[in-house]
Amino acid sequence: MELKFDYIASVLFLAVGVLFIIGSRSLGSSSYGSAVGPDIFPLILGSALVLLSIRLFYETFVTKNQQGTKEKLQYKPFLIIFVATLVYILTLETIGYVITTFLFLFVCFQTMERSKVILSLLISACFSGLVYFLYVEVLKGTLPDWPIWFQ
Amino acid sequence: MSTLDYLFQGFQTALIWYNILFAFVGVLIGTAVGVLPGIGPMSGVALLIPVTASITGGLPPEHAATSAIILLAGVYYGAMYGGSTTSILLNTPGESSSVVTTLDGYQMAKKGRAGSALSIAAIGSFVAGIITLVALIALAKPLSAVALKFGPAEYFSLMLLGLGAVSGLAGKSVTKALIMTIFGLLLGTIGIDNVSGIARFTFDVPWLYQGIEFLTIAVGLFAVGEVFKTILEKEEEDTEIARINNLLPSKAELKESAGPIARGSLLGFFVGILPGAGATLASFFSYILEKKISKTPSKFGTGTIAGVAAPESANNAASGGAMIPLLTLGIPGSGTTAILMGALMMYNVQPGPLLFEDHPQVAWGLIASMFIGNIMLLILNLPLVKVFAKIIQTPKQFLIPMIIAISIFGVYAVQVSTYDLLLLLGCGLLGYFLSKNDYPIAPLVLGLVLGPMVENNLRRALTISNGDFSVFLTRPISLVFLIITVLWLLIPFMMKRRGKDVIINIEG
Repeated sequence: MELKFDYIASVLFLAVGVLFIIGSRSLGSSSYGSAVGPDIFPLILGSALVLLSIRLFYETFVTKNQQGTKEKLQYKPFLIIFVATLVYILTLETIGYVITTFLFLFVCFQTMERSKVILSLLISACFSGLVYFLYVEVLKGTLPDWPIWFQ
Repeated sequence: MSTLDYLFQGFQTALIWYNILFAFVGVLIGTAVGVLPGIGPMSGVALLIPVTASITGGLPPEHAATSAIILLAGVYYGAMYGGSTTSILLNTPGESSSVVTTLDGYQMAKKGRAGSALSIAAIGSFVAGIITLVALIALAKPLSAVALKFGPAEYFSLMLLGLGAVSGLAGKSVTKALIMTIFGLLLGTIGIDNVSGIARFTFDVPWLYQGIEFLTIAVGLFAVGEVFKTILEKEEEDTEIARINNLLPSKAELKESAGPIARGSLLGFFVGILPGAGATLASFFSYILEKKISKTPSKFGTGTIAGVAAPESANNAASGGAMIPLLTLGIPGSGTTAILMGALMMYNVQPGPLLFEDHPQVAWGLIASMFIGNIMLLILNLPLVKVFAKIIQTPKQFLIPMIIAISIFGVYAVQVSTYDLLLLLGCGLLGYFLSKNDYPIAPLVLGLVLGPMVENNLRRALTISNGDFSVFLTRPISLVFLIITVLWLLIPFMMKRRGKDVIINIEG
């Protein structure tokens, strides 16, 4: 598993390095009053990244396949929480902070452990309400407001 | 003005009522962060930056920077106090710098001496904190005076040394650490170029013009990544907390630990100054040192008080020592100090030799507040240790989702952009996979924070020399820095070749 990841990573880093080299070639090579321009630093870094990722590929190739201890990963709760976070982020600006945060927290609390429903509801409500109140009313910050149909 | 005058002014700043409050909140949260396994000082500090930024919003800029850094630094050294609590009571270190403390601390707790172990840890941390502060005050002026003489070539080489040192010690594979450093530096080049005003690698996306925000990356990689790890690798643990009986150590125990505390503080301080070597290494070295010079080395591991006193003093001293390169040279030597530096730069305060001249209020206010913070920690930790031990029992069911919610709130409050939130989520995922496969994250954040400065100094040096790269080798100080950098990277490599174990720094 680890070896596979290192191969993919080295190829990806190689690609990033090459892209940065290509990208910096299209930048101006000097700026006014100076022999060095904005391209030099990313060019050096990109080349170094290319060399290092080749080295990583080689190292991964040389290292013998180690049998790592396999651990059980909890994919299901992770996926639910990940999707919940994504939905939370995408709906934050349209539905507003309080409602989305409340729903997000409640879903995640219950995903972590299916118990204490009332306590979960209470904590989610307190957290979202308190943060909104303190930040928007007391500190005069900006957070996405309540949706129009709710006001 | 003499140093003492400055220090006096610093105390005037630190003793303003809200700064006392900030220091208090900082060390309180820091202790909690140290106690909670899963949140290290790095994610703790990163998570709190946006929160402090919004709280200090109403203050004038310089005051805001002072108050914010007082709180954030409090979290940093507070975590060093808190980390010992779980090591002693539960045999699970709250963060990596307290790993060594478990060896003797938990044994002491088993024998019913948890109280004295905890109080010695707190006293040791306090003594170490004060010793480091005195050294910091003594060294700050001379060091920044030296650093002021550096030209861009010297600065560039010094920063390379810092980056190289962190990469050389930051994980199992130097190659991976270097890749992360360079990746961080590359991310730092995205955005409008400061010198020429050209947009680089932005692909005409307006969101990218101001560059990739370090806060989003740091919170995502550390805090969210850590949360994902906890969810994926859920483990059932039995939390059986050792009972705390008498809190005060006996006179014999105090006498026995005086030496280890003094040695641990000094050793920790010097290890802390070195870039790359942080609190984890310091505690480790001091434990080995105590074992070596002890008359009864066989006692170590069975619950001797020196085995608690030395590493706990050392990790606290190291966190203070790490402030020296940050404040005087402007070069963070670890992940956490890199985040502190990023926080200062968000307030337009540039750490470095000019910090003590341009912003004496920030620099001396912070130093003075560390005195106050350390006293608070001692008072907090002795009677309240039982309360803190309770924090460990915070159910993960509520803690984990709340960390995600705080991360999202924090990043949105500062950036007000959904793109940053998506980047946050992506970084969380990336952070999980990277650290799972031994790619250290601290060098990436360090590269991202230092990137623009490394580049500016490189270009200034090259402009002066008219594009001649040999300028870095012909200037003696610069050459020395470069040679040390190369040695730092090569020696561990050579030692590995010879089959020796190299101690690495897990925490940043």
